[in-house]
Amino acid sequence: MKNLSLTIGWLYPELMSTYGDRGNIITFQKRCQWRGIQTEVLELNPGFDAKLLEQCDFLFMGGAQDEQQQIVAEDLIKKKNILKQIIENNTPGLYICGAYQFLGRYYKEADGSIIKGLGILDIYTENPGTNAPRLIGNILISTEKNTTLVGFENHGGRTYLGEKVKPFGTVIKGFGNNGNDKTEGAIYKNSFGTYLHGPVLPKNPEFADLLIKFTLEKKYDLSINFHALNDSLEKEAYNAIAKRLGVKL
Amino acid sequence: MLNFFLIISGKFISFVSRFLNLGNGSTWPGEVALSIKSNFIKKIIEKNTLKIILIAGTNGKTTTARLIQTILLKNGYNVFQNAAGANLLNGIASSLIANVGLNGKINKDFAIFEIDENTLPLILKEIPSPDFIVILNLFRDQLDRYGEVNTIAKKWKDALKRLDEKTTLIFNSDDPQVAFLGNESKAKVSYFGLDNKNVDSEYQHASDSTYCPNCQTKLNYNSVYFSHLGDWNCTKCGYEHPKKTFTSFPLYPLLGTYNQYNTNAAVLLSKDLGLSNEKIKNAFKDFKPAFGRQETLDINGKKAQIFLSKNPTGLNESLKTIAIHNAENLLLVLNDQIPDGLDISWIWDVDFENFITQFKNITVSGDRVFDMGLRLKYAGFRNFQTEEDLTKAVNVALEKTAKNEILYILPTYSAMLEVRKILTGKKIL
Repeated sequence: MKNLSLTIGWLYPELMSTYGDRGNIITFQKRCQWRGIQTEVLELNPGFDAKLLEQCDFLFMGGAQDEQQQIVAEDLIKKKNILKQIIENNTPGLYICGAYQFLGRYYKEADGSIIKGLGILDIYTENPGTNAPRLIGNILISTEKNTTLVGFENHGGRTYLGEKVKPFGTVIKGFGNNGNDKTEGAIYKNSFGTYLHGPVLPKNPEFADLLIKFTLEKKYDLSINFHALNDSLEKEAYNAIAKRLGVKL
Repeated sequence: MLNFFLIISGKFISFVSRFLNLGNGSTWPGEVALSIKSNFIKKIIEKNTLKIILIAGTNGKTTTARLIQTILLKNGYNVFQNAAGANLLNGIASSLIANVGLNGKINKDFAIFEIDENTLPLILKEIPSPDFIVILNLFRDQLDRYGEVNTIAKKWKDALKRLDEKTTLIFNSDDPQVAFLGNESKAKVSYFGLDNKNVDSEYQHASDSTYCPNCQTKLNYNSVYFSHLGDWNCTKCGYEHPKKTFTSFPLYPLLGTYNQYNTNAAVLLSKDLGLSNEKIKNAFKDFKPAFGRQETLDINGKKAQIFLSKNPTGLNESLKTIAIHNAENLLLVLNDQIPDGLDISWIWDVDFENFITQFKNITVSGDRVFDMGLRLKYAGFRNFQTEEDLTKAVNVALEKTAKNEILYILPTYSAMLEVRKILTGKKIL
């Protein structure tokens, strides 16, 4: 194989990285490194040049506190068109929690006021008010490809999917998008939105590899078969949560 | 009359629980009293004239309470405090029950209460005019339980607004969000901080408050002591760290930059009470750390030192501190029980990458042993051993530690209690 090299665009690491989401970047990079694939991370903080987005082969954005999210909103809204174009153009990306909500059409506050989203994903989120509990805890979902993923969710907003997106997974244990319809996250083109923290990639190496594969295939237009890595520790960490949730291995 | 009954029954519950070694004597009596009479704390406090010191902050509460207690005791005052970690209303009520006479009188000069983040607004309703409130810092901790840092800061600010001039606030000037809390209160504020030039050049990943609490612009730091603590100012609105009245002391009884902050807070408060440097220094000579906070235990000729590490900043600082002391043997114990926080994502915000070559032996255990193992694997460590069974892990780690070396144990809260029980054979909480 020729020298492969990927550029990761990390959107707002200073502000949107409250829940150990950095672990996803570390995992993506390490699993590339172990296969001889080079990676570079572009840290895109408020005020970054929107053109940098076009250099990115993979995008990542995590969750944040409300106030920090506002700073991000003001900055990202200016770059909405480029970001939309990149996502429509199949650039792979992972958007966690606050970032996932933010890609949607809107976020409705408990008092009924509406915060507009980027409108890239056909989803919307509602905050049911302070009396409704936050959805917190370990979660296990199954995806279309019959793999299962574990993570930890912690969100107040309830997200509902429109017709243009597919759910990322089906909830086996936990709450997922809204605690009712058993859907978790959303997939649109090669972009994945999800509530799974944990962070999600270290304990779910198949998903990490899938993202790397999509990214390589998109950039180099080739079909890739990875050699397997020793994931026994990853498996044990996954199994510990699955077992605790009472899910048969 | 009801109080009398609650005090008696509380003391009895406490006795029974200690006698049977149930391990919850520091919260249970208070829990019962509060469930029968919700303003129990208020009623007891109103009847007494003792001075009250409240200590809040994400990290360092127990140690700071211990430092203040030591200073006051050694200088002839009668002091009591809530049991370390029993820092919800039930823990405070329990400590009152243990120290109050049947006539409702407390025969002490000072009460020192360490207060949980969520409990500070609640205790200020019961004790609306404490003599001192010490606020140490505000770091990301247990997001599933406390919510995000800004949420706590808002709750605190609202509660502190209601204070009167009788209260003195002892605040950390180097923490932007803590400094900002003093702005709208009628209480007198004194600020502590650091001024040494022993500075980190970069932020650690887990820093929370690098944006101006006043106008949300990114803050400028002339120096950073750790995480988001430093000499900060806002270039947009001009808000800057308040003038520090106290920044260094000739004797620090505990290791680590974070303990310089804890010590400075304790000393500033003591000086406000009129105690001289000399008297404070003498008191520190006999200082013994609180359990699990750099406490050293002798185990068959080997030493084990426990550094409670319960959030990203805490674990970063523990690692830095033991690295300065050339630590070679490490036991990491990660639990995810309620006192630890159910969400262990935070370990990915710890800068383990900086310590790859530091340790000869690393053992990992706890409820989430494999998550901690994964964190080390992805940081680039190869020389670690995962061991699910904590007793085995402790033994393995001790075996690997040579006779004249120290085993450094970095556990989360419930893990610390478990480790200590294994090492000493006794339950403490």
